[in-house]
Amino acid sequence: MKKNSTYYLLMVLFLMLNGTLMAQQINIQGKVTAAEDPEGLPGVSIVAEGTGTGTVSDINGNFSINVPNENTVLVFSYIGYASQSITVGTQQTLNVVMESEAKGLDEFIVTAFGISQEKKSLGYAAQNIDAEAITKVKQPNLVSSLQGQAAGVQITNSGGAPGQSARIIIRGINSLDPGANNQPLFVVDGVPVDNSTIESTGTPRGLSNRMADLNPNDVASISVLKGAAATALYGVRAANGAVIVTTKKGKAGEVRVNYNGSVGFETLNQLPKLQDKYGQGFSGEYQPSSFWPSWGAPIAEVQQTVSDHKYQDNWNRAFNTGVQIDNNISISGGNEMATFYGSFGNLQQEGIIPFSNWNRTTAKFSGTVKVSDKFNFSGSVNYSNSGGNRVPHDRFMERMMYWSETTDVRDYINEDGTMRTYSNTNPIYDARFATYEDDVNRVIGNINLNYIPADWLSFSYRLGTDFYSDQRTEITPGPKGIVGEVPLSSTGYLEETRINSRDLTSNFYITLKKQFTSDLNASLRLGNDIFERKYDRVTARGENFVIPEFYNLGVASQIFTSQGKSIKRIVGFYGDLMVDYKNYLFLNVTGRNDISSTLPKDNNSFFYSSFNLGYVFSENMVLPSWLTFGKLRASYAQVGKDTDAHILGSTYVSPSIFPLNGQVGFTRNSVYGDLSLRPEQTNAIEFGLQTAFLNNRANFDVTYYKSNAKDQIIPVPVSDATGFSSYITNAGEIQNSGFEFILGGTPIKSNDFSWNISANLSINNNEIKAIKEGIDEIVVGSQYGYAGSTVTMKLLEGEAYGNIFGSSYERLGTDPDNIFLDRSLPIIIGTNGFPVRTGTQLILGNAVPKWIGGIRNDFTYKDFELSFLIDFRTGLEQYNQYANFLSAFGKNEFTEAREDFRVFEGVLADGSTNTKEVWLGQGEGPDGVDYGAGYWRNYYRTTSENFVSDASYIKLRNITLGYNLNPDLLERTPFRTARVSIAANNIILYTPWDGFDPESFSAGAGGNAIGFTGLGYPGVQSFFFNLNLGL
Amino acid sequence: MKAIYTILCLMLFLVLSSCENFLDVNENPNNPQDAPISGLMTNATYETSLNVYAIGSITSNYVQYLASPNPASASDVMEASNYSGLWFDLYNVMTDLTDLMQKAEEEDAGHYLGAGQILMALNLGMTVDAFGDVPYTEGFDFSSVTPTYDDDEALYSEVFSLLDQGIQNLSGTTSISLGGDDFIFNGDVSSWIKFGNMLKARFMLHTKGTTTYDPQAILTALASGMTSNDDDATVIFFEQRFNPWAQVAINNESLLLGGWISTQFIETMDGTSYDVVDPRMSLMIGATDDGEYIGVTNGAGRGNAPEQGARSTLIPDQFYTYEDSPLLIATYAEQKFIEAEVALEGDPERAYAAYLEGIEAHMDMLEVNEEDKMAYLNSPEVSMGASALSLADIMKEKWVALFLHPETWNDARRFDYGYKDMTLPENLNGNLNGQYIRRLAYPDNEVSRNGSNVPDVTLLDRIWWDE
Repeated sequence: MKKNSTYYLLMVLFLMLNGTLMAQQINIQGKVTAAEDPEGLPGVSIVAEGTGTGTVSDINGNFSINVPNENTVLVFSYIGYASQSITVGTQQTLNVVMESEAKGLDEFIVTAFGISQEKKSLGYAAQNIDAEAITKVKQPNLVSSLQGQAAGVQITNSGGAPGQSARIIIRGINSLDPGANNQPLFVVDGVPVDNSTIESTGTPRGLSNRMADLNPNDVASISVLKGAAATALYGVRAANGAVIVTTKKGKAGEVRVNYNGSVGFETLNQLPKLQDKYGQGFSGEYQPSSFWPSWGAPIAEVQQTVSDHKYQDNWNRAFNTGVQIDNNISISGGNEMATFYGSFGNLQQEGIIPFSNWNRTTAKFSGTVKVSDKFNFSGSVNYSNSGGNRVPHDRFMERMMYWSETTDVRDYINEDGTMRTYSNTNPIYDARFATYEDDVNRVIGNINLNYIPADWLSFSYRLGTDFYSDQRTEITPGPKGIVGEVPLSSTGYLEETRINSRDLTSNFYITLKKQFTSDLNASLRLGNDIFERKYDRVTARGENFVIPEFYNLGVASQIFTSQGKSIKRIVGFYGDLMVDYKNYLFLNVTGRNDISSTLPKDNNSFFYSSFNLGYVFSENMVLPSWLTFGKLRASYAQVGKDTDAHILGSTYVSPSIFPLNGQVGFTRNSVYGDLSLRPEQTNAIEFGLQTAFLNNRANFDVTYYKSNAKDQIIPVPVSDATGFSSYITNAGEIQNSGFEFILGGTPIKSNDFSWNISANLSINNNEIKAIKEGIDEIVVGSQYGYAGSTVTMKLLEGEAYGNIFGSSYERLGTDPDNIFLDRSLPIIIGTNGFPVRTGTQLILGNAVPKWIGGIRNDFTYKDFELSFLIDFRTGLEQYNQYANFLSAFGKNEFTEAREDFRVFEGVLADGSTNTKEVWLGQGEGPDGVDYGAGYWRNYYRTTSENFVSDASYIKLRNITLGYNLNPDLLERTPFRTARVSIAANNIILYTPWDGFDPESFSAGAGGNAIGFTGLGYPGVQSFFFNLNLGL
Repeated sequence: MKAIYTILCLMLFLVLSSCENFLDVNENPNNPQDAPISGLMTNATYETSLNVYAIGSITSNYVQYLASPNPASASDVMEASNYSGLWFDLYNVMTDLTDLMQKAEEEDAGHYLGAGQILMALNLGMTVDAFGDVPYTEGFDFSSVTPTYDDDEALYSEVFSLLDQGIQNLSGTTSISLGGDDFIFNGDVSSWIKFGNMLKARFMLHTKGTTTYDPQAILTALASGMTSNDDDATVIFFEQRFNPWAQVAINNESLLLGGWISTQFIETMDGTSYDVVDPRMSLMIGATDDGEYIGVTNGAGRGNAPEQGARSTLIPDQFYTYEDSPLLIATYAEQKFIEAEVALEGDPERAYAAYLEGIEAHMDMLEVNEEDKMAYLNSPEVSMGASALSLADIMKEKWVALFLHPETWNDARRFDYGYKDMTLPENLNGNLNGQYIRRLAYPDNEVSRNGSNVPDVTLLDRIWWDE
């Protein structure tokens, strides 16, 4: 039924356009140039107003167009330039000089399938970030470079490791599935590409999200399509929004060479507050081989008898100064027939944890060829090789916890290569020898063919591929066979992982343009889109090497292997109708039908549509002169969503432990995929107001959105007694709504000095409207805490995504029905004088920020530029696993009070105020009472509420001071342009959080359990020196 | 224009008609739709042994074989812990056994059917003994997303019925024979039959305090039961996967603390509670650095003792903790103590003989040397004579012989934790009102997924045979 209605709609739309066309009479020819460059400006759109005819300037800026009569108005428009309307008159030749526009690229925006669209005409919010804003922040990872720069877009760096993944969420989390990918689709030059993060098995090592393979220096602009309306045309894969990346292209004219290079240095940006008074041992007693790093005697006291006993400042000394060297060179040029762009880039990065590093080498080539006025083609290839040594940061930091504060952590190796230790594992030795290297080779390529048989008709075809191989080698050495050694592993192992992934996309579309009356223009695009992803992973692990330190699977005593394959295909048909009336009312209707291989055959075809309306009231009514521009937007959109490959029905799995004794065991897979699964659907509405004041000196944009993802395809946890643990079916609904504000302007503009500012702010509200009947909760993840302080992120109906549950102190007057911890109530103190803990799991906080935002300021004075970017987030709490561990081992600054008495604030069970004084230390106190392991180990570390705290921050994300070499000076050099700059990232961090940078979290970009810091790779601050030269 | 229109339509049609095959790629390339019956048997035997371990690792603190090094640990002080993982493991095996039995019936593989029924009875019985009422009749086939709970007494009838059918099917014909895929008996059908009878006796003994108790039926079953240690139902562990108790000992050595011995166990063995030193002690557990045997009082924690060397723990490379040690599911020794307990009323001579045979069987298992064995067996604390033999004596020796085994918790509950010198743990869970735990709490996963069916019980509510 649905299938049929789709085709009818497409047919009807098609027939509407199938009219006769007007005859053309006058031929106008000419050349378009840019004001700052006498070379021709290619690609300028030239439309004869009210006729539906149009053309594009060629590689030299030349154009030719037929117009009906002398009164025809030609509209010239091009990204970054002010549009011009010129009445033809009697002239046959028209030379036009385009003036660049202050608002730059903002006026045009790249939307679906790489089509550049006038922002004015959009009925939905979309935001553009230009090349300069991307490269200025000096983030090797393209995702990180968006941080703070777009409203409603939340970027979180999962840590400070070289190459480590960054997570991007647009307008909140849209799925109840703990394993869902909630990140937007990335599209490079019209080709959707893979941005998955495949974490290491075993201990976290902070791997890359695949967009990190792309060199930010090759990017010309990024537009962020936020809502369902913006992404309706990309189909199922863009249900969480889309990030459209356009890479740099060559321009006709002289060959140009650009070089930019930078050297950067990184250091730890924040440490928790630590104590330096007590050393190794337990119960206040010094013990040189004790497991306990800092519950011992006062260091000063021991020093009197043990002269080399001192606080080693290991937490500062363990980390290196990271180094980052980035070199990029590009060459571009072309003539009227062809243009090209080529680049080569190399980035080398050493992290602050010793032996962590990551390198990326990229090469890009793109070209366009114009065969004739009717046919042109273009293509590009991006090659990258990336990878490095991923240190086990979680284990490194855990071993730092255990490491004696009075033993030098840097003195880690003996002459024979074994570990030097008093008994615990040295973190640096482990980081050096327990290696995990990845080596990714990736090619993203596309070919575009355009055939334009007539002004009103064009055919376009694009074939894109994204192929990568990811080779990973993990080695943990076993014993060397040296007497007395402390090996990292009793067996030693080598694990080889080979991942191959290939995406293919094919996209064919026809564009039809028609003018109905002089006021009414329409264009229609009809297309077919095919996607395929093939993925294959093979893992082989060898243990117990017959020859120590000879790592080859062939000489392992035990071999374990596993394999995972998948294939997914989607075929989509779409139509996109754009109508504009008098250039102030814009209507856009889209419809798309997808057929996905992942859904049951009866339900695998689904249709969805979107309607967007843009009303530029400033062109339709008389407004006060200070109001330069005003537009209202409204949209309603649906997006369908399929599921993962190969999840339907019931299967059997062979647990990885087999074969044992030559037998392969099987068990019924505990996941059952509903055989009548339907596509999931998101309905979204959006309203917005866009305004500009005082001749574009200031602008303001506000958007309200609400999206409801219904019929979610989620793994519903079911009773194990059913024979399955998880039932993948349509269940549940999640709602996100919020406001986005963008404020920008140019407060000062004079010949020598200008100041630009742009700020964004957004608030998101999330509510889980429904799960499945009879199912109370969905567990997203949990993180370990000592002695009952483990926390869990759970989804509950009626509550927001991201609630963190854990243990707390008992409080007087607690409402037993309240699932939230009420911290305002008085804590109950037990008869022993210590707070009473309860294991009842209450909501201690929520890990999804309520408010996020950023402010960017750019100042220029003569040849100098100063810019800075501040971003912030607030209204969120996180679980601080570091604090939990630090308190268990007596390392927090506040544990210096261990020889003090304290009366805990609170009330006894009968409501009377607690007055009992207790000692905080270990063992027998001065009062003769045995306090066992002491307050922090017996009480503090066992209670989750001590570790779930406000993780808001304000960061000076980037500050850059640049100098552009004066043209007078440049004349004496071979260079066309030259610029030097210095930059610093994250040098100011303001946060109530006591710990490392609160931004780091342990799940990696691919995970949804975001509220847990784990023992993540600590955040860094960095300083850069940059040089740009142009020939 | 017409031409273009036609071409378009044609293309659309072609694409559509080829779509069907193009999109037909969703069959799972990683997991097969069906599994061989021998693969199911392999996994079921392997996982059943791990279930015995998993319950044993919980109950060993309740019956005070082990004690936590940390004060007031949930297992020591009998708190309502969340055993979602155990619940999954039990139902996972029972689900696989359901599939296995169905396949066996389809393929006329009588021996697979019989072995499957015995394993089903064992896993179901263990589940009921731990949790009481549990889902069964609406389980395993996804007929209900929220399966209802069956009465625990009714489930016991099902256990006995499965065991009877199992024994019968194993005695009959089969189209396929068990072999190396059977990790418990390596395809030895007569051992399976003895095992089935032994389990019948074990589960019937649980009903001793109820009206359905039938001692004669137990003795009849035992007559067809195990006849020596060679008949023990065990899974011998592997180079690739160590015995889980061995893993506990290895982990403890690398400071992932576990396997610490309870003071109760040491005092039972070292001459404190009984006037004899048990030669098995040094073969079962490790000594301190000073060569002493010092336990931890349940619930008290280790105090200021360091992680290593100051307390007795499981240590690698002893009988229970070799990497390739057998994991004991049911033993001849246990069977002998069942016999002793059943015969005690009415035939003390038989009971006494079985009691001594049980001790000897366990000592032989541990390879206690003859001299030590005889010295112990001849000590007046042990060889009190048939007329003086009491239930407490049998229970004490059974408690030692079933070290780390979950069956001891069933005994303890029937025996009201009446072992000599056994006291409530320190820091006992306040909700227990000064009494010992009587069941496990329903796991959090089950409560959140099937809450409306989960019975409302406390840790003091008893399983039907314990009422």
